[in-house]
Amino acid sequence: MNPGMKLLLVMLIALEISFTQSLVVNCILIAVSLVYILTQHVSMKALFGIIFWPLFPAVGLFVSQWLYGSAGIHFAWILFTRIYGYVFLGATFTLTSSITDLSLTLEQDFHLPSKFAYGVLAAFNLMPKIVEEVQIIKTSALMRGEALHFWSPKLYFKSILSSIQWSQNLAEAMTSHGFVEDYPRTHYKVIRITALDWILFVVLFIIVQVLLFFIRY
Amino acid sequence: MDNKSQATGGKKQSQWTLRNIILIALIAIFTGIIFWGAGFLYTGLTVVLTPIGMAPFANDLLMGLWCMAGPLTGFIIRTFGSAFLGEFLGASVEVFLGGQWGAGAFISGLVQGIASELGFTFTGYKRYDWVGLNASIFTTVVVTFAWDMIRNGYDKFSLPLLLGLFVTRYISTFIFAGVLTKMIVKLLDRSKAINL
Repeated sequence: MNPGMKLLLVMLIALEISFTQSLVVNCILIAVSLVYILTQHVSMKALFGIIFWPLFPAVGLFVSQWLYGSAGIHFAWILFTRIYGYVFLGATFTLTSSITDLSLTLEQDFHLPSKFAYGVLAAFNLMPKIVEEVQIIKTSALMRGEALHFWSPKLYFKSILSSIQWSQNLAEAMTSHGFVEDYPRTHYKVIRITALDWILFVVLFIIVQVLLFFIRY
Repeated sequence: MDNKSQATGGKKQSQWTLRNIILIALIAIFTGIIFWGAGFLYTGLTVVLTPIGMAPFANDLLMGLWCMAGPLTGFIIRTFGSAFLGEFLGASVEVFLGGQWGAGAFISGLVQGIASELGFTFTGYKRYDWVGLNASIFTTVVVTFAWDMIRNGYDKFSLPLLLGLFVTRYISTFIFAGVLTKMIVKLLDRSKAINL
């Protein structure tokens, strides 16, 4: 499915289950997402991650609602499954789609100005370097006997200095590769929203509405 | 991401240049990665607080940290939408790094982005001082709290607990999105690295 359509669908459903209170529908959504993820050959490690890490907030919310909430244990279960719903719905997108395809389709099909699509994509592609840079900033501060933590203004200050420099370099590099802001572009890789995408989107969305309408438990 | 209106907004010299867009994204990713490193804090706090049913406090204690990217980018690129974009992208980083929220982080990012943007909107994008920052803190706390009333079922809690959570969130946001942001902006201002 087109990554943009998929993200939109996932976000719509996630937004919807934030307002509805149906334990059964939450479970159905989790199950369907899980089956979809399993068919996509994702790594066991990623799968373990999405099952294990949400356990903390989910159990936390469950217990507090159970002990102090006025709506009883059923509502506590709804919150528990809601967290997993978000994560599994999200995983159907994040584990199977690339951010490059997403920005391509956002530009070509959703009419996002190209400077946003490519600018943000360029920044996201630097993510491994940014992880490295944070480490470098911390280490070089340590060499001067200064420990930087997430509450140290200096850590952010130095990060922003790097960002300023890198953004300038990246923007110039893109310009020198022929990128012109606010100018129509041709595309090497064309991503279209097909009729099948639309059908899937509409059908899946309607199914969720019907489920939410009929299953109130 | 509906940045279309933001890009075309502003008759005079638009701040939305390629360089500024990349700058906002980079700052958002940097802060996202720094918080991600502090993710163990959230998990640890949750584990400690869960047995007494106070796990939501972990969320509210750290809320300010998660809402820092918005005011920060809003202060650096002073135009409509920059706080929103920064906050939203900051939250998206977590999705791609494999945070524990999944699609929830996208939606939280949307809500937090709108929340911190509103503060700057209310001051007409003119007050880039303590007043503007406090307006952004206020809208961030109120909007995100309202959202948690729905999403995390806070509305089912008793009033004292609710007040406790609200105050905790306010203090956290004030410290991280307020005081810390102010200190960072001051450093930037003194360094003359960027024209604020």
